[in-house]
Amino acid sequence: MWQFDRRLFFNFSWALLCTLLAIIAMGLANLYSATAGHGYSPILIRQIYFYIAGFGLILAIISVDYRVLISLNYLFYGLVILLLCGAMLFGKSAGGAQRWVSLGLFKLQPSELAKLSLVITLASYYYRKDTGRGFTLKELLVPTLLAGIPFVLILKQPDLGTAMMLAFIAISMTLFVKLRWTTFIVITLMFMTIVPLAWKFGLKPYQRQRITTFLNPEGDPLNKGYHIIQSKIAVGSGGELGKGFLHGTQAHLDFLPEHHTDFAFSVWAEEFGFAGSLVFLTCYTFMLLLGLNIALSSRDKFGVLLAFGVVSLIFWQAFINLAMVMGLLPVVGVPLPLFSYGGSSLLTTMASIGILLSVRMRRFMVGTA
Amino acid sequence: MLKFYKPKQNKKINRVISKIRKVDEVELQTLKRRISIAMGVIIFFMSILVIRLWFLQILRGPKYLKLSENNRIHLEWISAPRGNILDRHDRPLVSNRPYFNITWRKEDSTNPDATIRKMAKILKVDISEILKRIREAANYPPHVPILLKEDVGWPTLVYIENHHYDLPGIHVEVLPSRKYMFGNLASHLIGYLGNINEDELKKYNGIYLPSDQIGKFGLEKLYENILRGEKGRRYVEVDVHGFEQRQIMEQEPLPGEDIKLTIDLNLQKTAEQAMRGKAAAVVVMNVNNGQLLAMASSPPLELQEFIGGISNKNWQAMLDNPLHPFINKAIQGQYPPGSTYKIVTALAGLSENAITPETTFDCPGYMDLYGRRYHCWKRSGHGTVNLKKALRESCDVYFYNVGLKVGVDKLAKYAVSLGLGHKTGIKMAGEKSGLIPTKTWKERRYKQAWQEGETMSVAIGQGFDLVTPLQVCLMTATLANGGTRYRPQLIAAIIDSNGKVTKSFKPIVTGHALGTPQYLADIRAGLVAAVNEKHGTGRIVKMDSIIVGAKTGTAQVVKLAQYRHRPSTKIPYKYRDHAWFTCFAPAGKPEIAITVLVEHGQHGGSSAGAIAKVILEAYFQDRLKKP
Repeated sequence: MWQFDRRLFFNFSWALLCTLLAIIAMGLANLYSATAGHGYSPILIRQIYFYIAGFGLILAIISVDYRVLISLNYLFYGLVILLLCGAMLFGKSAGGAQRWVSLGLFKLQPSELAKLSLVITLASYYYRKDTGRGFTLKELLVPTLLAGIPFVLILKQPDLGTAMMLAFIAISMTLFVKLRWTTFIVITLMFMTIVPLAWKFGLKPYQRQRITTFLNPEGDPLNKGYHIIQSKIAVGSGGELGKGFLHGTQAHLDFLPEHHTDFAFSVWAEEFGFAGSLVFLTCYTFMLLLGLNIALSSRDKFGVLLAFGVVSLIFWQAFINLAMVMGLLPVVGVPLPLFSYGGSSLLTTMASIGILLSVRMRRFMVGTA
Repeated sequence: MLKFYKPKQNKKINRVISKIRKVDEVELQTLKRRISIAMGVIIFFMSILVIRLWFLQILRGPKYLKLSENNRIHLEWISAPRGNILDRHDRPLVSNRPYFNITWRKEDSTNPDATIRKMAKILKVDISEILKRIREAANYPPHVPILLKEDVGWPTLVYIENHHYDLPGIHVEVLPSRKYMFGNLASHLIGYLGNINEDELKKYNGIYLPSDQIGKFGLEKLYENILRGEKGRRYVEVDVHGFEQRQIMEQEPLPGEDIKLTIDLNLQKTAEQAMRGKAAAVVVMNVNNGQLLAMASSPPLELQEFIGGISNKNWQAMLDNPLHPFINKAIQGQYPPGSTYKIVTALAGLSENAITPETTFDCPGYMDLYGRRYHCWKRSGHGTVNLKKALRESCDVYFYNVGLKVGVDKLAKYAVSLGLGHKTGIKMAGEKSGLIPTKTWKERRYKQAWQEGETMSVAIGQGFDLVTPLQVCLMTATLANGGTRYRPQLIAAIIDSNGKVTKSFKPIVTGHALGTPQYLADIRAGLVAAVNEKHGTGRIVKMDSIIVGAKTGTAQVVKLAQYRHRPSTKIPYKYRDHAWFTCFAPAGKPEIAITVLVEHGQHGGSSAGAIAKVILEAYFQDRLKKP
């Protein structure tokens, strides 16, 4: 009875897979350009390995019924918390932050895993607790704690960008399941008091600096504002059609910092212009909307919540990264999923896509057991 | 066939899954609504990004493209070789030599403080000096190099080139600099270059860089726009560290044009050597076209000191020099003409019919007017004096009489017609006009009536009279050529770098001497007598084969009686009289006029005349050798 079901195959979202492949193709071409001048750079080769590993991961995930996650979620969650603590105690530091745990083959960034684990944990918690009457403040205590622990651990690394991501995911998912109006208002009020306090006590000076320089990048053009200015120049100088593949001067002459990681999109926008950027954004939006469509198509609420959480995970990272690259938001270390170089982020995102595919494949299964 | 999952291995999970309930219809509707909202949110946020992209790439695209070009493209200027200054026979007086400047481009330096500290040590200058230059350049755009030190020597240069990678942003700039072929020769004519200042940068907007040199004095300043040429440009692509990647475009510099002077190198050299150690001026003019063959002022400017910027100490030393090297005495020194003015008085007397060449006056060694006694320089007197004798022996009493007969205003008229008392119009900055007094001038200036006695002083070139050596030379030339007054000419032609003459200058007649040519000939005869006859005051320049006409002059500096008739060595230097000597030759068909002034040189005949003689010998060198 659990033999391969033909319906699994027919319900596979080929559209999502194609969009994914398209985005990956753009990402690889862009990474080739961003690291060009050195032949096939080791960075590009590594990224290709990560993509292959990612597809392996997707294959593994879709072969398992996503609903096992309902009972596995705390195991997964606990593991991630342990890794986060590990990163804190024995982690490799880069740029003043301890973010990596060495796993022999490659260095894992547990904060990336934490995002996915939070999505799964919250999806299963809300699935189990949702009564349809809306959540009270008291009922939100557990999810707040579930999100709060990794949030604090990541903030301490310190990695403001990823910590904010967790907050965005948690808030999005909580708003998605029903809240009572009173709860909503109380939370909003609390938020408005906490933010100024957090500004004063919670943020490290460099984090505060990032936000102030974002507000006025030209005030300090040589140091902190440099990233934003150069990124805006790169994007803007692309014009309508761009400077052409491999001809982006900002990236190739090293004016643009971090051009293969966080600022990868600047390279794309510089070389392919408004037209190329529009193609990319359309693909990306299409992928996200497909994800939401998958959420909608799921016949069980866990699947809906899971798919929604995964989409919000990818969306917020993409939006914040792109807005940062275009100078709309301060520079926070958030990669562009599927596009920026980085194994942990890529594998996490591929796993997320795997979950979406898995939900889609099993839309018919509810109630048959 | 693929087998995806074997649930039998885990009963617990299987149980959980089997308990999952299907979403009921009501709940499905709410979820649908919320997902639609989520889709809306995604589309909304993505639209923001698209609008932002449109703003950055389409609306502001050209601006950012320009910024990115500014990022990667550096404009390097290539200096144009400055034009040479040549003498009348195309011999260069000033040329160029390479000269190495150290500049610093702040935007290329990763650690400006460390670089500056290193540079202070390498250049062996105080760090405050460097910081001062950087502060002065604070307003320049960051890609404009700041000049740290000019004209560094080879060892420093080699060191900097070898440590290139330790000194980001430091560049060696090769500039053609001035090479003075004959030391300080013609220093007042040539002038010097100096670092361009803020005002000059503004004035010639876009032509100069802050590290450029610009003519500050003399012909270098006056003909700056001809000499400088046009800079070449080189556009290069650089990476973020300022390292050159490739050249995009190059435009060759256009060399400056040469200036050909009317000056004769040999005469100029002779004149300057003869004046060495004195405060003096020499002007040598071709009487037939007004071209200056030599014009020199002593002591000269130390041109070498100005290369790479003169130090304050040397500048001050030149300012404090009692011989005033900064004054070009030939055109800026104003002195009483002394007895050289007797040419004017004689011409006025003849032309106004106050005298004929045969008219005689008796000189007892003095003349009394209104109870005051005016002495002749020769206390024993000249006896009976006619025009020729008066000019030959420079009899003061004779000219007192002529002056009184003619009156000061008529004297002034003739003085002006000979070129005195107003600017000659030579193309050099700072020329002084001198002064030829008239009655109305005195009334305006001093609110006092003119005194007859003052006419007597003026008639022998003392009193209010002030002239420059160039004016006296012009007067002599006008006298010698029969009355045509030319504008003194210094520039013969402008020649481009291919040797083509782009502009040549013709003699300009500015006026004519009043009086008939015969009167001028009578005066010339007197001057020839002064050189060639017994008791002549200008006998020092007598030559065998060339007949010279000359007039000496002694310009009183002070009238203090206490210094009168003392031996010259007993009078303090600054109170000693100035010595004049002006002459023309050959007498039959005059070619040149030479005027010499020696400040505090006392008697014109000896000190100034000796200099004139050397120049005459140099000019007529070929003709003198003939048997």
